[in-house]
Amino acid sequence: MSGDSLPLPLPLSGFATDSCEATTLYRELRKPLLRYLVCLGLSADEAQDMVQDAFLSLHRHLASGGSQENIRSWLFRVAHNGARNRQQSYDRRFGKPLDPDLDSISDEATPEQVVLEKEKLRRLGKAILLLTESERECLLLRAGGLRYREIGEVLEIPTSTVGETVERAIRKLAEKCNV
Amino acid sequence: MCDYSGRLVAWMDRELPDKEAGVVERHVRDCSECRGRVDAYEQVSRAFVAYCDAAMEKKTRRRLKRWVPLLASAAAAAVLLLVFHPTTVKQMPVRPPVADAAPAVVVETETAPRPVKKVHRRHVIAPMKPPNANWALAEPSIQIAIPVEAMFPPGAVPEGITIIADLSVAADGSVQGLRLQQ
Repeated sequence: MSGDSLPLPLPLSGFATDSCEATTLYRELRKPLLRYLVCLGLSADEAQDMVQDAFLSLHRHLASGGSQENIRSWLFRVAHNGARNRQQSYDRRFGKPLDPDLDSISDEATPEQVVLEKEKLRRLGKAILLLTESERECLLLRAGGLRYREIGEVLEIPTSTVGETVERAIRKLAEKCNV
Repeated sequence: MCDYSGRLVAWMDRELPDKEAGVVERHVRDCSECRGRVDAYEQVSRAFVAYCDAAMEKKTRRRLKRWVPLLASAAAAAVLLLVFHPTTVKQMPVRPPVADAAPAVVVETETAPRPVKKVHRRHVIAPMKPPNANWALAEPSIQIAIPVEAMFPPGAVPEGITIIADLSVAADGSVQGLRLQQ
């Protein structure tokens, strides 16, 4: 599935009597969810399916009178658990969760800038592999725009732990990348 | 290392309470070491997001690449079919369902008067079915079907003959005369 439009049961009844609100939620969170799942190691197809499943679950959750609070962390938690279940059911390691195509970076930069940028990202890639799973997940969720409290809800850890983990992870990356 | 270094990322992310954030902000303004760290952390944070975007881009593009040869093959096959196999479906004239098999002679006339009309039809020997009466109500055209058995004795009709019918239609739409030629 591609592209960017997924057939979703919008509007989300019970939550968004105003369909614009549901559409806004979908537009806002679709890409961060996809990026999070892909960076966890899912294929693009698996990630698309997972995102669709997450929004369908949200629809059912709200239609059955579920809480309307913390929807962002709720969606990420559903996607996160789905990804982890899939990982266990297929009994595989998400070996190279982050394996970007560096050729696609900095099209508008000069050749020197492109070389420097690629080198920097290569170093960053190596540094990311040295992070713990928890540190990587925290950074991925942070990159998705989630607050520490929301990250804690997704990963089911205290907010203070999230803060410490993010701080530690960023410091590690900065040291390894000599930034 | 500065005492505040452990709170710099949380301050950047606006996760500190207002009072504490104010304290850290004043410190960062005065401490060049912490300012340098904040710059470094911001750079790394941006690079991390770019890295994730590139990873997603790569996987999405790889998925598209898998489909490109398949779609290209399908398109090429469709073009070849069109080029080397010209249209085999001819547009059939809209006609009421008179009979499944072709009648011996079928002549259609409009209600508008036409003096003489020549109709060329290839003769096919086939049993004649009675025309459906409903179509005549729906379409005001005249259709005349003459079974070949009525015109030729059994076995005397040569195959593949062409019958030319001259039809004379009067001004009021009635048929004045019908003359067959061979």
